[in-house]
Amino acid sequence: MPDAEKFLERMGDKITEVVHKPKRLYFVVKDDDLSEVAEYLFHIMKCRLSTATATEVHRGIEVLYQFSDDSTGDYYCPRVVMTDKEHPSMHSITPIVKGAEWIEREMMEFWGIEFRGHPRPERLLSKDHPQNLDQPYRFRRLS
Amino acid sequence: MNENSRNTIPVGPYHPLLEEAEYFTLTVDGETVVDIDLDIGWMHRGHEYLSEQRTFTQSIYLVERICGICSTSHPLACVHAIEDVDNIEIPPRAAYIRSLVGELERIHSHLLWLGLAGHFIGYDTLWMWSWKYREPVLEMCEKISGNRNHYGMMRVGGVARDVDPGQVPEMMDILDMLEKKMQMVAGAAKDDPVLHSRLKGVGVLSNQDAIDYCAVGPTSRASGVPGDVRKDEPNDAYGWVDFDRIVLQNGDVYDKLVVRVLETLESIKIIRQCLEALGESNGEILNNVKEIPPGEGIGRYEAPRGEVFHYVRTDGTNRPIRHKVRAPSYVNIPTYTASCRGIPVADALITLAAVDPCYCCTERDIKVLTPDRDPSNLDLLELSREKTDRIRREINGS
Repeated sequence: MPDAEKFLERMGDKITEVVHKPKRLYFVVKDDDLSEVAEYLFHIMKCRLSTATATEVHRGIEVLYQFSDDSTGDYYCPRVVMTDKEHPSMHSITPIVKGAEWIEREMMEFWGIEFRGHPRPERLLSKDHPQNLDQPYRFRRLS
Repeated sequence: MNENSRNTIPVGPYHPLLEEAEYFTLTVDGETVVDIDLDIGWMHRGHEYLSEQRTFTQSIYLVERICGICSTSHPLACVHAIEDVDNIEIPPRAAYIRSLVGELERIHSHLLWLGLAGHFIGYDTLWMWSWKYREPVLEMCEKISGNRNHYGMMRVGGVARDVDPGQVPEMMDILDMLEKKMQMVAGAAKDDPVLHSRLKGVGVLSNQDAIDYCAVGPTSRASGVPGDVRKDEPNDAYGWVDFDRIVLQNGDVYDKLVVRVLETLESIKIIRQCLEALGESNGEILNNVKEIPPGEGIGRYEAPRGEVFHYVRTDGTNRPIRHKVRAPSYVNIPTYTASCRGIPVADALITLAAVDPCYCCTERDIKVLTPDRDPSNLDLLELSREKTDRIRREINGS
């Protein structure tokens, strides 16, 4: 991953817990730095957002964005960790990557994550649900 | 523009053409679509959660049933993700078999769409041709796997079933016939003045919009975005076979059609090379994988509609603690916002169909809150009825 070295050099002060596998780079980024990292990946490196995955783990709720560099087949995966399981909240990257709109709305709905700055913070799958759904869908196994 | 001259046209909850449940609200000014709102959530799935309750092998069977057309793409992306956790290698023969089945699926999916597209615009000859020549492809799938769909071929570390080298000459004959017929269909599609006048310049998705919406597959390749997982990250046998990446520039429905037709011919090239390799030798088809260590893996495959993406996170047990599935339609459907604005209503439906949307892939799980018992299918039916009634009341203004 030659471009990964350049990326690490440029963004090294903003990322921690780097896991480097063949064609995959996973790393943790602070919520405040996510926009800058996403901007660099999407606009400078011309990566495409494949999707994002929220997972509940012992230390909190993690959101892992999966950016694909289609020119090399490499993946860059910034991970944001939210330790407050009751009220998880982070910045949205939808203002930077339009393609993140649906997946962030889905994570909002399923995991109860607030995406600050999302242009359309509505439910994606159940906006017409007749019941008052005021809790996330996913069963919290580790709380 | 006068706001009072605008009207709302509901499309759905059953697509008038594609027979799947979804709902669009077209805001029109006269004949022109000025805005579109998408409403999904009509189907009740839950495969991500279900997969996390199952072993890796069971998950492969589960994801195979996400979609009836992409019934190789999902399990293939799933096994790629599990193999990516521990960089598991597969035998070369298994790689050829995986690519062979994947390309057969691409041909029958593209022919299915091509037939439907022809039918949508009243060109039933194209529909009958496409579905007629789809049959031999499904028969080849049946020869290889025993099924026309849901092949059950994929395993972590290889494939479940070998291809009999004795069947190769027969399948080569079918390919020769299919290639001639597809060249005829391609020629007819490219030269037909009716298709030109009906589809050219309709529902244009610009190159920048395709990039912004992170569109994939023929939807993006028709707009000049060259992404193709088979070339970008050549898994399985794709690094060993010769084929071209089909990219066109106009982004309209016509280019999406031509991309699919030309990709069908490329798929025939790939299948022929895979069959040649399989006919010449024998070998192992499955590496014995005893356990999956803790970690995370990304797997993807170029499904007929575009990149299908699976992410698996493991903890050393025999089941994933997180399994994320992202079907290509999930990123292609939002491009309607860009491609439908400004077009006449009459063009909207073929534009909505042009990305070859698959809503059963796109939908996620819905939790039905019932205080004293588990939800039944009758609860789900009742929810759908309530939603339809509410929309009907809104439209009627009462």
